[in-house]
Amino acid sequence: MSKNNQGTAYKEALNKYCALEDIAAAKETLTPEVLLKQFHPDYFPNSIINLKVGANKGEACHGQLAAMLQSDARIDESDLAGAPILETDILVIGGGGAGCAAALMAAEAGARVTLATKLRLGDSNTVMAEGGIQASIEQGDTPQMHFDDTIKAGHHFSDKELVAEMVMDAPEVIRWLIQQGMQFDLDKYGDLLTRRAGGTSAARVVYYRDYTGLEMMRVLREAVLNSNIEIIDYSPAVELLANESGHCAGAVLSSLKDCSYNLVRAKSVIVATGGIGRMHINQFPTSNHFGATADGLVLAYRLGAKLRDLDSFQYHPSGLSHPQHMAGHLITEGVRSAGAYMLNANGERFVDELKTRDHVSSAILRECVEGRGITTPDGAIGVWLDTPGLELREPGMLALRFPKLIELGKKSGIDPLKVPPLIYPTLHYQNGGVVIDPNGLSSVKGLYCVGEVSGGIHGKNRIMGNALLEIISFGRRAGEHAAANCHGVKHKKISIEHLSDLRRELTQANMPMDLQGPLLFPECAKFENDSDYDGLHKNR
Amino acid sequence: MQKQDEELVNVTINGKEITAPSSLSTIQALWHAGYPRVKSVGCLEGVCGSCRIMVRRKESDQVTMALGCQTLIEEGMQVNFLVFPTPTHHTYDLKMINSSWEVQGRFHKIFPEADHCRHCGGCNRSCPKGIEVERGVALASKGRFREAGELFIECVMCNFCMTACPEMIAPNHVGLFSRRVTAYFHTRPGNLISRLETLRKGDLDVEK
Ligand SMILES: Cc1cc2nc3c(=O)[nH]c(=O)nc-3n(C[C@H](O)[C@H](O)[C@H](O)COP(=O)(O)OP(=O)(O)OC[C@H]3O[C@@H](n4cnc5c(N)ncnc54)[C@H](O)[C@@H]3O)c2cc1C
Repeated sequence: MSKNNQGTAYKEALNKYCALEDIAAAKETLTPEVLLKQFHPDYFPNSIINLKVGANKGEACHGQLAAMLQSDARIDESDLAGAPILETDILVIGGGGAGCAAALMAAEAGARVTLATKLRLGDSNTVMAEGGIQASIEQGDTPQMHFDDTIKAGHHFSDKELVAEMVMDAPEVIRWLIQQGMQFDLDKYGDLLTRRAGGTSAARVVYYRDYTGLEMMRVLREAVLNSNIEIIDYSPAVELLANESGHCAGAVLSSLKDCSYNLVRAKSVIVATGGIGRMHINQFPTSNHFGATADGLVLAYRLGAKLRDLDSFQYHPSGLSHPQHMAGHLITEGVRSAGAYMLNANGERFVDELKTRDHVSSAILRECVEGRGITTPDGAIGVWLDTPGLELREPGMLALRFPKLIELGKKSGIDPLKVPPLIYPTLHYQNGGVVIDPNGLSSVKGLYCVGEVSGGIHGKNRIMGNALLEIISFGRRAGEHAAANCHGVKHKKISIEHLSDLRRELTQANMPMDLQGPLLFPECAKFENDSDYDGLHKNR
Repeated sequence: MQKQDEELVNVTINGKEITAPSSLSTIQALWHAGYPRVKSVGCLEGVCGSCRIMVRRKESDQVTMALGCQTLIEEGMQVNFLVFPTPTHHTYDLKMINSSWEVQGRFHKIFPEADHCRHCGGCNRSCPKGIEVERGVALASKGRFREAGELFIECVMCNFCMTACPEMIAPNHVGLFSRRVTAYFHTRPGNLISRLETLRKGDLDVEK
């Protein structure tokens, strides 16, 4: 990444730093458009290319993601000989929030549901979410304002239909979560507390401490475990199956438990595999969980699904930059929402901390590039998140509302009440994804895609709290719709024949085909050299 | 990747001798040494409960339970990864509990072992989050679910306490049950309810 190591050394900057009650607001010199164009990673030169095959042929895509979307498959027909076939009505792939919500709704509607997930059920980006979930519930707020904020923050690239459905769903989504047994932070009268997300016009984010995702995920997982949903864990999907007319009809799972392939034949499939953080787009560190490797995008694309906004990613402003072994760990935007400033090496604020994330991250990158960053001996760079200043203004609040931050402080050896954490943008979210309709259906029959894997809601930039809302809103919609429409569906033949077409197209386009996808696990895990995992036979 | 002058330590992980910088977690140390590890890895931030390890520190005969991503390696440490937590045998459906008056009675049907706690403290010792697990079970047994649930705020459902309990109480599920019934029966936010009501009447709409 284009870091510039000119700046003030960590020790020196820390000596100069002093927690103050008040610090003058920043004066913007650049327009938002210019700031983004000059500093946002989406505009890094030569990072975007045009796709050569598939439904988005000719369209812009980040080079690293393009390589995966146009990779060769991991399996061929011979791998599937003799593989057992499981039958179900609805196969959900991915055990995060979106997958669990979809599975619960489909099961409640009476469908037979199977949920397959890569590792442990609930290991996901969902469980890590901190800041909260959006729902317009306060008096001065309306769904219309929620809609307007979302569209504006996404730079008018959002699918308005989807956003309108989502903001209208929001209060009911919170109710549904409470009925699953999820707790929220309440005031003394029992009203939901709200905080304001960057770039929005009202306090609209409801939350549980900075453990919103943990609370949501453990409740949804418990609900799934206590239902009749069949769970197949430690089993990444490596390919989708199609019937004779190209409808999605199941998936090929690869069990990490016994290194075997299993086929699941389903009337429809709901892909809820989450994001891309562990692809380290533009070599940025990431806040994402270990399994966030864009698998769902690759699987859906091969089956012909249309994708969108593949050139747009979210870099969250407050990723930890130091110590290095924790680089990328997230500090929630909630901390800035609660009043924390960001300071450069000179102790100055340099941006309105509650602008949209793309804006704030660009401003941090500007400070670093222009020599006002703080550099560490191991080559990291960043700016201060002035938590001690906030502690001075609001004593005790950090400990009460942000226990995860306090824990992070313990592990990093930097107590955020006394020493400001050094932060740098971290790869956080895929703004785009699979094109869907309000039921979560993709352009391929029988294939639903919900949650982070889908695109269209956030345009080119997402606001805090809209991801957790999206996953429940559209997860529920897809589950209901799939269950209501699975009657009478019968696939005569299920196969991976679409892979022959893929290989033909790749060859015709002169693509290298040396890479196999989906990625499944980040490179650092050295998964591919492990003889234990022969079942996936990467090393053909 | 790490600093040149960083302290290196020797550890044994799953029987493999590894030398790695002391700033690494047990998982990072395995990767650093070139060993693959994907099972029992997850969020890498200590909230998904997947990376369960048993640790023995140098010159100690005590074995402690911990989360692998949250444990930095130390000289002479012995680490073993555990995989695939076993599910509990307790099942329940919140919708089957008709009112909050019934919760306590139902609780004892769903978790009959909760009353048999021997106060051995095994659950407390096994908890990587330092939760007062045993007290939580006792509170739930007395029907004080809100209080019990508060103790489990940090619980990541790693299931260590379940494994440690000789009476098969499944304390983490007791904790989560306590939290869930509290929300299910008692979270009734006025601001949310009045917004739902306005929406029901069709008084709010979105112009695209
Ligand atoms: C640290 C952090 C903090 C966040 N904070 C907030 C917040 O405060 N508010 C907010 O709105 N959003 C937040 N987000 C974003 C939000 O959490 C995610 O976008 C959202 O939870 C995604 O949910 P999901 O169900 O789509 O995907 P995930 O929750 O990531 O679940 C995807 C699941 O699919 C599985 N999977 C992946 N590939 C395969 C495969 N090939 N086969 C089978 N299974 C597979 C994964 O293992 C995982 O279990 C945060 C994200 C992070 C990382």
